[in-house]
Amino acid sequence: MINQSLSLPNDEEVTSAPSGHCLLPLGRNAILLIEKPAIIRNAWLLTLLAIACIATLGIGTMPISPKEVIAVLFGHGSSMSQFIVQDLRLPRLLAALFTGAAFSLAGCLMQTMARNRLATPGIIGIDNAAMAFAVSSVVGMGISLAPSVMALAGAATATALAFGLAGGSGTRGYRFIVAGIGIGAIAGAITQLLLSQVSIDVANSAYPWTVGSLSARDPMMVKVLGIGLGVCLVACLLFASQFALMPFSDQVITALGANIKSIRIITLVLCITLTGLAVAVAGPVGLVALIGPEIARVLARYRGIPLISSALTGALVMIIADLFGRTVLSPIELPVGIVTAVVGGPYLIWILVRRTSRTSL
Amino acid sequence: MISWFHIPPAQRPLFSLFVPALLVLALCCFCSLLFGAGGLSLQASFQTLLGNGSADDQFTVFHLRANRTLVGLFVGLTLGIAGALMQAVARNPLAEPGLLGVSAGSSFAVAITLVLGASTATLTVGIAQLGALIGCICVLSVARMQGQHNDPIRLVLAGAALSSLLLAVTSLLLLFDQRAADEIRFWVTGSVAGRDTNTLFSLLPSMLIAGLCILYAAKPLASLALGERVAIGLGHKPQRIRAVVIVAVALLVGGATAIAGPVAFIGLVVPFAARALVGPDIRRTLWLCLPLGPIIVIAADVVSRLVAQPAEMPLGVLTAIIGAPVLLLIVRSRRMPTL
Repeated sequence: MINQSLSLPNDEEVTSAPSGHCLLPLGRNAILLIEKPAIIRNAWLLTLLAIACIATLGIGTMPISPKEVIAVLFGHGSSMSQFIVQDLRLPRLLAALFTGAAFSLAGCLMQTMARNRLATPGIIGIDNAAMAFAVSSVVGMGISLAPSVMALAGAATATALAFGLAGGSGTRGYRFIVAGIGIGAIAGAITQLLLSQVSIDVANSAYPWTVGSLSARDPMMVKVLGIGLGVCLVACLLFASQFALMPFSDQVITALGANIKSIRIITLVLCITLTGLAVAVAGPVGLVALIGPEIARVLARYRGIPLISSALTGALVMIIADLFGRTVLSPIELPVGIVTAVVGGPYLIWILVRRTSRTSL
Repeated sequence: MISWFHIPPAQRPLFSLFVPALLVLALCCFCSLLFGAGGLSLQASFQTLLGNGSADDQFTVFHLRANRTLVGLFVGLTLGIAGALMQAVARNPLAEPGLLGVSAGSSFAVAITLVLGASTATLTVGIAQLGALIGCICVLSVARMQGQHNDPIRLVLAGAALSSLLLAVTSLLLLFDQRAADEIRFWVTGSVAGRDTNTLFSLLPSMLIAGLCILYAAKPLASLALGERVAIGLGHKPQRIRAVVIVAVALLVGGATAIAGPVAFIGLVVPFAARALVGPDIRRTLWLCLPLGPIIVIAADVVSRLVAQPAEMPLGVLTAIIGAPVLLLIVRSRRMPTL
């Protein structure tokens, strides 16, 4: 949305913006360059998101009309619908909103960094490692910390291993991906090991973690994720101009005066935080990180890096997938991870199969 | 005096490796009977092997441990050979049945039969093999469309995608069936312990067919390594060779999965080691895979019994821990070796 803030020499008057942009003066020496199509695009996405939210709050075994939903949200409505909307459906909606946005934003960042649209946190094993750590705390093995802390630790461990073993991600982006696949395989095996060691009841309680589900999530963790997501979004906007350099080669970035290493480290830290917290809430729903940025990129028509749009589309995808899983086979509830995998898996294969595909960004 | 290590791998005489490997395999089998978790001490195991142990000890050594050694032998053999064949046909050193979703296809088929009412004991092997065949065709056709010589990574990515899709559908099936979920929880870890050896005998016909396929395909496969045009010029039919090899891989992997569950990375590690020892010729590699596969599986199984006493670590976890570094080693090698 906000492309970059430019500082201008004093003696130069800026009178007109490039086409499709508008200027916003910030004090004496700086202006903000705003891309109009991006604003319009994100406004559309926000509208769609709001419609999806209201639909989600209304649809269920006790249908509530959109009018009533809006009334409840503004503090009116019958006590019955207030209970259903506020206490039952709203927490789940927030969880879907936050996790979708977090996964998708992390995916967008990592794809940009590795210059490969297949390099999402799910593919390179961050999801699996975060899951393995979180499951270990759920089934009570080893050190028992809060699952969100464990998930963050797992995400950080996996990323550090993949990045370190592959020797960076720059010109050898593919190494990073394959190293991640290997680490993801180990983490998956460890999860299976943990689940096979405990009684069936404990295993069942950990089962939603392993497929990705939004039912009965800890409200505390959702709150932590919300705060983390807010912080990461602000950080993304602050560093947006630096992230915009990442598609270029290392030499170009260095020649432009930016520090490629620090950009990569910032990106990785953001990815770890977002993915770790999101896995702590919903388990591995990694394919959202693949689908969300892809839709955002199609909408943006390859103009820059669609960070905000990615977050919005990710949240939209997650909400729709959860709504689908909740209603289509009701009363049985499909975990959201399974819905996204069944939809996203064929899509991933399709990306690979297309003859003239552009897997690199 | 030129040491043996100075001879290039491709010129080393095969028997100078094959015979020692067989001896190591015999040693591994012996260790597998001797060591184990649980109450039986090393001395008691040794005494039992010599013929003077109690009935309980004899049951442990000659039934439990002998059975899992036999299953390990079979699994190592099939997965090692399948990995070598798959890498040759895809001309990609990363092609591995576990990574590429062939085992996942097999698991998926097994999950379906479990949900439909079979138990793991009466599992029909043919269904696992059918699942492996479908997974194999899916993933190799994805790679073929891209011209696989240029991009070894794409095949792995396609496999990862296929695996995650199949795993998701498998979990979906299990969501509806608590009993199947409980049974498959132990099965998906991949283990050679407590498996039914009767299944081994029911596998013999399909293994015979797989063996015939390999005998038919080995020589043409070696010429296919020189390039498709050369192979056609030498009078081979690449399409037919590929089809035969895919059938053999599916039979082997499906059989192994039906018995031991998905054991990842064996198909990557064994041919990698074999190639490092005797060079890239597929016929020599296949010969060496015969003893190497069982050596690695049985050794890993013995270690899995000893590291977490008195409990056991599932074999699948241990092979993942051995295999992932080899994967990294292949990827990190300066020039991605193409086959």
